[in-house]
Formats: sequence, structure tokens, C-alpha cells
Amino acid sequence: MSAPAIELRQVRKSFGQTEIIRGVDLVIPRGERHAIIGPNGAGKTTLFNLISGRFPITSGTIAVNGRSTAGLAPQEINRLGLSRSFQITSIFPRMTVFENLRCGLLWSQGYRYSFWHLLGRQKTLNRAAEALLERLKLGDRRNLPAGLLSYAEQRALEIGITIAGGADIILLDEPTAGMSHSETESAVALIRSVSEGKTLLMVEHDMSVVFGLADRITVLVYGEVIASDAPAAIRGNAAVQEAYLGTVAA
Amino acid sequence: MSAFRRHWIWLLALAVLLAFPFLFYDWTKGRHSGFVLTLMSEIGVMAIFALSYNMLMGQAGLLSFGHAVLFGLGAYCAAHVVNLVKAGTIWLPTELVPLAGGLGGMFFGYVLGWLVTKQRATAFAMITMGLGELVSAAALMFMGFFGGEGGISIDRVMDTSLLGVAYTSPWQVYCLVLAWAFIAAALMQLQTQTPLGRIANATRDNFERAQFVGYDPRMVRLLQFTLSGFFAGVGGGLYVLIYEIVTFDTVSAAKSANALLAVYIGGAGGFFGPILGTIVVVLLQSGVSLLSNAWLLYVGVLFIVMVMYAPGGLIGLIFMHAPIWRIGRLRELTVPYLKALPAALLILAGFVMLVELASFTTIGAAQGKKLAIAGAVIDTGSPLPWLVAAGALGLGILWMRFAARGFRARWDALIEDARRQGVMS
Repeated sequence: MSAPAIELRQVRKSFGQTEIIRGVDLVIPRGERHAIIGPNGAGKTTLFNLISGRFPITSGTIAVNGRSTAGLAPQEINRLGLSRSFQITSIFPRMTVFENLRCGLLWSQGYRYSFWHLLGRQKTLNRAAEALLERLKLGDRRNLPAGLLSYAEQRALEIGITIAGGADIILLDEPTAGMSHSETESAVALIRSVSEGKTLLMVEHDMSVVFGLADRITVLVYGEVIASDAPAAIRGNAAVQEAYLGTVAA
Repeated sequence: MSAFRRHWIWLLALAVLLAFPFLFYDWTKGRHSGFVLTLMSEIGVMAIFALSYNMLMGQAGLLSFGHAVLFGLGAYCAAHVVNLVKAGTIWLPTELVPLAGGLGGMFFGYVLGWLVTKQRATAFAMITMGLGELVSAAALMFMGFFGGEGGISIDRVMDTSLLGVAYTSPWQVYCLVLAWAFIAAALMQLQTQTPLGRIANATRDNFERAQFVGYDPRMVRLLQFTLSGFFAGVGGGLYVLIYEIVTFDTVSAAKSANALLAVYIGGAGGFFGPILGTIVVVLLQSGVSLLSNAWLLYVGVLFIVMVMYAPGGLIGLIFMHAPIWRIGRLRELTVPYLKALPAALLILAGFVMLVELASFTTIGAAQGKKLAIAGAVIDTGSPLPWLVAAGALGLGILWMRFAARGFRARWDALIEDARRQGVMS
């Protein structure tokens, strides 16, 4: 239990000649709700992609639940207990909403690549998928192909797929981007409830969401961490004001 | 009882398929029509093959150009097993020969799949194409396994039947094909409802998302490819029993194309689509090819028309009617359909006539054949038949445009009504 949920040590990432992440150190203890903010192009999504194994890092180390993720494929990092969502909605568009959630559950329920279990008969699995469906308030969309859902519903479904496997570390990449005010409110309520007792790391542009949810905030500017502190301290941080918040926070 | 209610359609299909050859039964001689039985056995085998292809294409989104490799290698394995049984080296009931083919197909599915499933999408398609050529070439090089150009011949009468059947007649073979086709189709249908089957859909839709819920897409592709190889091999094993010979044609690109045609024409979306497609393709191939030199052209035109105007295939066209059927107003489409029918027949007649005229002026003339309709020989050199054919086609197209307008109006109204009643989703 002593190891932090996520630990980054001097992480660097270059694409060709351009260094996007320039030596990031970040420790996220278990159970913390942590937000990463920063101007466009700061490398927030890239950092997510490094932690979740979508891209390999150029140098440094990343550990998830105390285990180094060097050389691990995304699915192997997922099996360490880390799950993520994407900035651009990433669901299974031709499958029904229910099937989407059930696919999110399969691995964690130990089905692996089984071709001898009939899914219709797996009572525990199906009950879990139904419960998740209700929790996301998508019950009346159960049998609709996911690609036909509204944007906000697709975002909610993606959060559902992300948490379905029971991962204890959840990475959400701009979960409320493009949502209306009321949609954002219900998304925040959903995120708050699903991250209960878990480690949450999210990239977010909406400051009301960030300051409403996060226990701690990290500010990333040009691939470097310029501050990592509690919300109140971040608000008062002069460097942050100058680099980023100055234009937003009054 | 509830099981019966859910599966009655399978029983009905089985009964119809068993009864159908009797329509062509020669009661005076007390004999089945060998042509019809072979044709239907071919449909059975190709339906298994097309369904196994759809495990890749429809379920996993993998476009393979070399699926016949698994079918053919399964067939070769089955042929060697039959010869070993015949020689007394091993013992295996005739009924289980397709299983030997299936295990062969599964083995090669795993070995070759290990190679090809490293990639997806276009790269996968290209590698399967190369693999098809590779195995075709190997078939002529490795005499021991493939038997060169002559292939491997067998004698299916092995006297090892569990049921005491000799398999001397096409009818007995047909029954065996039917039994295996039903077993294979049922298993493949069940496979779509397993975790692997569903995750194959997931990797098709969004392979990266599948990774982030814990699955290795490569592993999903490999297992799906291996299982698909099993069923293709079952088809290959039955093929050997029907024809008693297997040559390198069975691994050829043309054979692979057959599966692709059947799946596209029938529709990859619904489970039964490939079966419909197989029936159409085999009838064109084995039936129309006896009547016309240009049968391949018809297959090609049908394929293009389906891909362009009905990407969901025949099954997609049928399912389009589902909402209207559900509100109980399908009957209202009868008149619009009947109105479009003469136009469709005119287009068809005009088109076929043009194609046949062309084919008889070129290939037909070289073969010394004459085009005759109802006994009257038609001079393909004179302009009149060409004008009549072109006229029929032109008139048909104009008529169809007119009829289509009325049809569309009726259709849209019914669909709108179905939407209002909330049966669309």
C-alpha cells in the first residue's frame, strides 16, 4: 500500500527533434483526485499517453501501483489497474451501449479470450453491466448502437467503459469538453461518484470543474511542471497566474 | 418447448433442405438428380466457407484475400487422413473426416495466423494476399503433400461409417454435408456470443479502445483467425468427400474471392447474410455457367451493384423492411413492388440480351454456337436484336425511374410512421 498510484521520475518525450515533455516529476498518492491544467500544447494529453502506454517514453521512469511500466503494452498497463478515457470520444460505435459496457467488464471478470462461455448466461457479468448502465443513466439507450448516442451520452458511456473494469486509477482526458453547462454538471457528479475511493487523474480546461473536483492541481507549461499544489495555493501562485490563469481567473 | 420456439427456424430449414432434392427425384428410375445433389452439397460446403470468412470480415473487420488457403489446406489434410484410413494405418469414421479437415485448418490457421495477424487493416489484407500466392506456388512444388497438378485423389467408400452408410451415392454425401453444415453454422453462431466473439467486434470497431480495456488486439485476431481456420477446414474436409479429389484450385485466389463475393453479396452484417450470398454465387457459378459463357460477368456486375447500392448486402435489404413489418404494414409495399417489377424485368432482359449478343458474337462464334431463343436462331450480326435489347434496357430504366418515385414516397411514409411509433430503434 505504500507505493503511490502513479510516480513519474524525470520523464522525457521527444517526437523527432522536438521535446514535448521535458523532465516531469510527479507523484500521485492513492485516493487523490488530481487535475492537470496548462495552456494548449503544454503536453497534457501526451503525458496521459505516456502514462497509459500509448506512446513509449524517451527517458525517465513511470511506475503504476509501484510497478515500472517500461516496455509494457497498453493492455498490460491496464491490467495493473489503470484505465483511461480519450479526449476524442473512443467507444465501440457499432455495438450496443450494453455491449460496450460488457466489453469493458470482460477482462476484469476473468473471461480473457474465452470462446466457450455464452455471454447471455453469465449472470454476474450481465448484472454488473446492467448496474453500470443504470448508474450512467443510459438505461433507455441499452440496445442502441453506441455511435447513435448524443455527444454527451457518448462521453458518459466512455467514462462507463473506463471505470467498468474496476481499475483503481482512472485517467480522464477532458471529460467535459464540448458539453453544455447542465451536461457538465451531471458529468461532474458522475465523475465524483465513480472516482470515490479511487485515484483520479484528469486533464481539464473548465476551471470550475478543476477547482470543484481536484484535491491537488499540477500546472504543465511547455512540457514542464511549474507548480503542483492544493487548489487554493495554485490560485495564489504568481508563476501560474502569469503563465496560464492570468487570462482566465479574475 | 421454449427451446423449440426459439430454434424452429433451424429445424424448418433442415426439413426443407432434406425435402428439396426430392423435387428433382426421377421416380421412373428411382434415382436422385446427381446434378442437383452436387449443386446443393456445393452450396453447403461454400456456406460453411463463407461463414468462416465472415468470422474475419464481418466480426473482426479483417479483410482477407487468402482465406482459401485454410479451406484448401484443411481439404489436403482430410484427403491424406482418408488415404491413411484406406491403407489401414489409422482408423477414423467417415463421418469425422470433416473434423480432420477442421483440425488441419485450425493448425494452419494458428501457424499462418501467427504470421499474418501481426498487422491489421490494409497491411493484413496485403499479407493474406501474399500468403495465398505463396501457398498456391507451394502446392505445385511440394509433391508429397499437395500431389502437384494432379492433386490428391481419395476413395470416400471406406467402410468405417458409424452409421453403417457406405457413402456410395451423392444423396448419402449430401446428408452428411447437411449435418455438418448445420453443426458448423450453429457453432459459429454461438461463437459470436462468447467473450472472444464480442471482443472481435470491439477490435473491429476500435482496436485501441479494446487495448485500454485490457485486451491484446493481436491475440484476438490470432484466435479468431485460428477458429475461422477450423471451420474453413471443416468445409475443406467435406469438399474432399464430395469430389473425391483435392487440387491446388482449392487454395487459389479464385477460391478466396468466392468467399469474399458471397459475404459481400449476402451481407456481412447479419449472421445469415453469407449463406444467402453463397446460394446466389454458387447458383450463378454452377447453374448459369452451364447456360452462358458470360456468367462471370453477371457475378461481377452483381457484386458491383451490391457494393454500390446495397452495402449491407441481401440481408441488409431484407432487414430494411423490419420496421415496416413490425408495425404490421409490410403488405402496403406489395403494390409498389409489383409496379416496379415489370421495369426490373425489362432492365434485366435488356441487359442479359446485350451481354449474350456480345458473348455469342465473340466467344460463341469461336465455339461454333448459335444464339437461339425458344428455338428461333438469332443472327447476332444483324442490328435488329441489338436495337431491341438496347431499347428494352432504355425503356426499363426510364420506367424504373418513374416507378421508383412512387415507391420511395410510399416507403418514406411507412418508415416515418414506424419512427413515430418508436420501433426504429
